[in-house]
Amino acid sequence: MSTNTEPANGSRVHAGKTLADSLPPSDEEILRVEDLTVEFPTDDGIVHAVRGVDYSVREREVLGIVGESGSGKSVSSMAIMGLLPGNARVHGSIRYRGTDLLRMREKEHRSLRGDKIAMIFQDPMTSLNPVQTIGDQLAEAVLSHHLVSRKQALARAKEMLDLVGIPRPEARLKSYPHEFSGGMRQRVMIAMAIINDPDLIIADEPTTALDVTVQAQILEKLLEVKDEVNAAILMITHDLGVIAGMAHRVLVMYAGRPVEIGNVDVVFNQPRMPYMAGLLGSLPHLDATEHERLRPIVGTPPSLINVPPGCPFSPRCPLADDSACVTTEPELAPVDADEHYAACHHWSRLAQVDDPTAYFRAESERSR
Amino acid sequence: MLAFIARRLFVSVLVFLAATAVVFVMAANVGDPLAEARQLPPGPAQESAMAEITERMKLDEPVFVRYFHWLGSALTGDLGVNVTGRSINAMLENAVGSTLQLVLAATVLSIVIGITIGVISALRQYSGLDLSVTFAAFLFYSLPLFWVATLLKQFVAIDLNNWLADPELALWVIGLIALFVALFCAALVVGDRRSRVTTFVVAFVAMCALLWALSETGWFADPGLGIFVIALTAVAGAIGFTTLFSGLDWHSPPMRAAMAAAIAGIASALLLDPVLRDPNLATIALLAVITAGVCFAIGWLLGGELYRRSAVQSAMFTGLFTGAVIFTDRLLQSFASYSDLKGGRPVSTIGSGTPNFQGTFWQSGLDSLGHLALPTLALMLISLATYTRYTRASMLEVMNQDYVRTARAKGLPERAVVTRHSLRNGLIPITTLTAYDIGTVMGGAVVTETVFGWRAMGRLLLDGINQGDPMPIMAFFLVAGGAIVVFNMIADIAYGFLDPRIRLS
Amino acid sequence: MRRTRTKPAQAPSGTDAVQGMGVRTRTQGELVFRRFVRHKGAVAGMIGLGAIVLLAVTSIGAGPIPGWWPKDFSSTGTIVDSGKPTLSLLPGFLGGSGMQMGEHPFGQDNVGRDYFALTMRGTQVSLVIAFIVGIVSTFVGTLIGAVAGYFRGKSEAALMRLTDLVITIPTLLFAGLVAVMAGDRGIVVLGLVLGLVTWTPTARLIRGEVLSIREKEFVIAARSFGTSARRIIVKHILPNTVGIIIVSVTLAIATAIILESALSFLGLGVQPPDTSLGRIIHDYQNALTVRPWLFYWPGFFIIGIVLSVNFIGDGLRDAFDPRQNRVRD
Repeated sequence: MSTNTEPANGSRVHAGKTLADSLPPSDEEILRVEDLTVEFPTDDGIVHAVRGVDYSVREREVLGIVGESGSGKSVSSMAIMGLLPGNARVHGSIRYRGTDLLRMREKEHRSLRGDKIAMIFQDPMTSLNPVQTIGDQLAEAVLSHHLVSRKQALARAKEMLDLVGIPRPEARLKSYPHEFSGGMRQRVMIAMAIINDPDLIIADEPTTALDVTVQAQILEKLLEVKDEVNAAILMITHDLGVIAGMAHRVLVMYAGRPVEIGNVDVVFNQPRMPYMAGLLGSLPHLDATEHERLRPIVGTPPSLINVPPGCPFSPRCPLADDSACVTTEPELAPVDADEHYAACHHWSRLAQVDDPTAYFRAESERSR
Repeated sequence: MLAFIARRLFVSVLVFLAATAVVFVMAANVGDPLAEARQLPPGPAQESAMAEITERMKLDEPVFVRYFHWLGSALTGDLGVNVTGRSINAMLENAVGSTLQLVLAATVLSIVIGITIGVISALRQYSGLDLSVTFAAFLFYSLPLFWVATLLKQFVAIDLNNWLADPELALWVIGLIALFVALFCAALVVGDRRSRVTTFVVAFVAMCALLWALSETGWFADPGLGIFVIALTAVAGAIGFTTLFSGLDWHSPPMRAAMAAAIAGIASALLLDPVLRDPNLATIALLAVITAGVCFAIGWLLGGELYRRSAVQSAMFTGLFTGAVIFTDRLLQSFASYSDLKGGRPVSTIGSGTPNFQGTFWQSGLDSLGHLALPTLALMLISLATYTRYTRASMLEVMNQDYVRTARAKGLPERAVVTRHSLRNGLIPITTLTAYDIGTVMGGAVVTETVFGWRAMGRLLLDGINQGDPMPIMAFFLVAGGAIVVFNMIADIAYGFLDPRIRLS
Repeated sequence: MRRTRTKPAQAPSGTDAVQGMGVRTRTQGELVFRRFVRHKGAVAGMIGLGAIVLLAVTSIGAGPIPGWWPKDFSSTGTIVDSGKPTLSLLPGFLGGSGMQMGEHPFGQDNVGRDYFALTMRGTQVSLVIAFIVGIVSTFVGTLIGAVAGYFRGKSEAALMRLTDLVITIPTLLFAGLVAVMAGDRGIVVLGLVLGLVTWTPTARLIRGEVLSIREKEFVIAARSFGTSARRIIVKHILPNTVGIIIVSVTLAIATAIILESALSFLGLGVQPPDTSLGRIIHDYQNALTVRPWLFYWPGFFIIGIVLSVNFIGDGLRDAFDPRQNRVRD
C-alpha cells in the first residue's frame, strides 16, 4: 500500500501504481457511444445538455472526459447507466459489447448496472446510505446480481474492503458510513463498484470532494483495482492533472459536444482546439517565472437552451473570425496526428505555433 | 442508546413536573369556584356553602401551597376531589379509557394510512392521484374539526342507519364508487397509457358487478365473507406481500412460504370455529402470537439459506393478514344480530358505548366500533392530512438523495430501492412528527367528545374550566401531558432505531 | 486586484446578452416572485383570501365607517320565509332565480337577525385575531428560536427546555386556560394571549435554520471581525431566514383561525357581545336540523380562509425553497 502524503500540485506525482505499470488496453471495444443527445424540458425551454457525442472505450482502457460544469460530461455518463431523470429525452445509441443500452428493456439494463457497468460518484459523504451498515450495502450489490447467500456476499464484501485498503475489514462491515472519513468512504464506493467484477467503471469526479493528499491515494487505488478486475475506466473530471496522470486517451467536451479527442500525450502537447489550448494555458506552472500571471479563458460557455449558430466557443476564442466561426458549427475531424480529432475551423493555425497556449496569454493581457 | 433514552426520560419528567406547576397556577386562577355559591340567597346557607368549598379547595391558602398539596397526594395516586366533593380518581377511571381508545385509534390509523398514501403519492409525483391526494390533504387540513364532527354525526350516522334498514345501492351510487376505485387502481399502475386504461376498465367492471351482486343479495344487511372469500383474500395477500418484499416469482421460496402461511391460516379458520364463536381478548391475542410463531417457522424452513429473510417476512405478513381477514369475517357475521339488538340503528351518535350492553365478544366489539367509528373518523381527518403531507415531502426529499442514486447504480430493482433505501430514511423525520401530533389529537379529542356527547376527559376539562376548579383540569393534564411525554419517548426510541447516527450521542 | 484573476470562471456581468444566451439573470426577489406566481394554488389562495377580506371589510364597514350592506348584525327583525337564504347564484335559464343577493342572502336566525351581516362581523373578528396571533407568535418564536440557535450552552438549553415545557401542554388546554383568564377583555387581548401559546413550531423551525446558518462562512467571517452577536443575528442570520419566517406567519394564521374557532365553539374563546365565526357556530349548533344555513355559512368561511392561507403558505415555501417540492423525476 502506498503511503504517499506529498501534496500533489499541477501534474500529479504517483509513488505507487502509475498508468505505465498497469495492463495495456486491448483492441476489443466494449463501449461505443454514437450520436448521443440528451435533452431536458424545463420552464425556460429545452436544455440541450448533450448534443451529439461519439466515442468508444476499449478493454482495460482509461478514457478521460474533461470539460467544465454543464459541458454534458456527467449527463452522458448517466445516460450509460440509465439513471437520467424521467423527463430526459435520450437519442442515439450506446452499445455495450454490441447491444444497444438505450433499446434494452429496463430489466435487462438493470442487470448490467452495478454488475458489468459500475459507477463511482463524486461525493462519498452523501453517496452511502446513512442508516445501513457498510457490509449490508456492499452485500446488497452482490445479492442483486448473484444467487448466493448473505454470508457469502458478506465474505465477498470483506475481501473487497481488504482490496481497497481498509484496515480491519471484518469489523468494518458492521460500521455505518458516518464512522468513516471521506477518503475511506470513497474506498468503500470503489469496493462497491468492483465487487461484481465489472467491465467498465464510470468514475464521475471521484476525487473532487476529497483532500488533495487523499486524492492521489484514491486515484492510485483505482488504477490498482482496475487491473485486479480487468476493467476499463471512464474518468470524468475537470482536473487536467488527473487526466495527465491516469488516462490513455482524453475526450474534451464543450457545450454538450466533444471538441477534441486523442491520446493524452498528443492532446496535451499539441492541442488542436483553442478551448483545450486555453485550458492548458490556464494551469499554473511550477517552473513559471515569478511575475507570470494565471491566464484564464475570458467569458462563460453559452446557454444550452438557445445554442447560437456557429462554433459555441467562438465568443471566447482568440482565433475566431466573423465568417465560418459564427455561421457553422465545426465537425469533429481528423487533425495532424494519428487518432487525433478536433472540432475547429482554424486548427491549422494552432499547428503552426510552438505553444498554442500563447494565444490565450495575449487574450488575457488584452482584457486587462 | 440506553443511556440516551434514560437521559431523555429524566429530562422529560423534569419538564413535565415543571409544566404541572405552570398548569396548576393557571388552573387555580381560571375562574371563581365560589360563583355558584354566590348565587344562593345571602344568609347562613350561603355562608356555610362557601365555607365548605373554601375548606375543601383550601382557597384560603396561597396557590403554591395548594400546588404542593396536590403534588404530594398526586404522587401517592390520589388526585383529590372536585368542587362538589366527588373523587377525581373515580371520575378519571370512567373517562380515561374511552378517550385513550379514541386518541390511539385515530393516531394509529392516521399514521398507517397517512404514511401509505404519502409514500404512494410521492412515488407517483405529479400524477392525477398525487394531485388529488395533495389537494384533499390541504382541504382536510383546513377543516374545522367541530364542524366536520357535527356534520358526520348529523348526516352520516343518521343516513347510514336509515339506509341500513333497507340496504340497496342505487345504480348511480354503484357507478360512482366503482369509478373512484377504478381511478385509484389505474393511478397505482406503472406503465403506459394502455395498461392504465385496461386496469381502469377491468377494475370498474369488476367493482360494478361486485357491488351490484352484494346489493341484490342483501349482503349489506347481513354481511360476512365466507370461507371462499377468506381463502381468496389470503392467497391474494400472499402474492401481494411476496411481490412487495422480494418480487413476483411463482417458484421462489418466499412465495412458497407465503402460500403455506395462507393455507395454514385458511385451515385454522375452519378448525378453530368452536373457539372463535365467542372468544375473549386473551384468546385472540394468544392466537395472534401463535400465528406469528408458526409463520416464522414456515418461513425459516421453506426459505432455505438463500432466502431466509424474505421468506420469513412474507410468511409472517401473510399469516397475520389472514388472521385479520378471519377476524373481520367474524365481526361482519355478527353484524345482523348486533343490529337487531340495537333496534336496527347500529351506528351510534351519542356516548362512547351502549350502557349495560350484553352480548358476545363480537357483538361488544361491534358496539365499541359503532360508537368509535365516527368520532375517530372526524379526529383522523386532520392528522391524516398532516402525515400524508409530511411523508410525501420527506419521501420526495429522500428520493433525490445521492445514496438512492447509488442504490439504483448497484442495479437494485426499483421496489428494493424504495423499500430498503428511501422508506427507512424518509420515515425518520415522521417519528418526530408523531410526538408533536399527539398533543393536537388530545385537544381534538376534547372537541370531538363534546360534539358526540361523550362523558370522558373532554367533559372533565371543560367542567373544570367552567367551574374554576383546578383538580379536574390537572387530571386532564396528567393524562394528556403524560401521553405527550410517552409519545416523545416512543418517537425518540424509534428515531434511534431508524437512524444509527443518533445511537452514538 | 482584477476580478478575472481571482474568479476565472466568472464572467464579467453584461456579457450574457452579448453572447446571445437569451437567459437573463434574475435577482433573488424576482425569482421568488416568479415561482410564487407560477404556483396555481398560491395564486388561487391569494385571490380567495383577498376576496374574503374585501367582502368582510367593505360589506358592513369597520368601526364608524359604514359599508355597502344596509343591515347590521345585531338588530332583530321579522322573519321572512322562515329565514331561508335568498342568495341565488343559478341564472334563470338553468332553473334558478338569477344572480341576486336578495333581502337576506345568508338567511336569518331565529330572532330575525340578518345572517349575512352577522357572518361578516364574525369573519372580521376571526381575521383580526388570526393576524394578531400570526404576528405575535412569529415574533416570539423567531426571537426564542434565533437566540437559542445562536448562543450555544446555557441559554440554548434553558430556552429549549422552555419550548419543551410549552409543547408538553396540549395547545387547546393552554389556549383555553389563557383565553378564559384573559376573559372578556376583547379580541385584541385574546389574539395576544393566543399568540403567546402558539409560538413553539416557529421557534423550532427558526432554531434549526439558525443552527445551520451560524456555521456558514459569512457568519464565521463576521464573527472573526469582532461583530457583536446582536448585530450578527439581526444583519446576517435573520435576513437568511426570512423565507421561513414568512411561511411561519401564514402557518400561524391558519392555526390561529382553527384554534380560535375551536375555543369559541367550546365556549372558551370570544365572549358576547363580541362574536366570531367559531362563536356563531357555537351559538347556533342546535339549529342544524331546522336552519342548516346557520351552520353552513360560518363553516364555509372558516374553510375558505384557512384553505387560502394554507395554499399561500405552500406557494411561499416553494418559492423560497424550491428544492423542497420541485424534485427532478
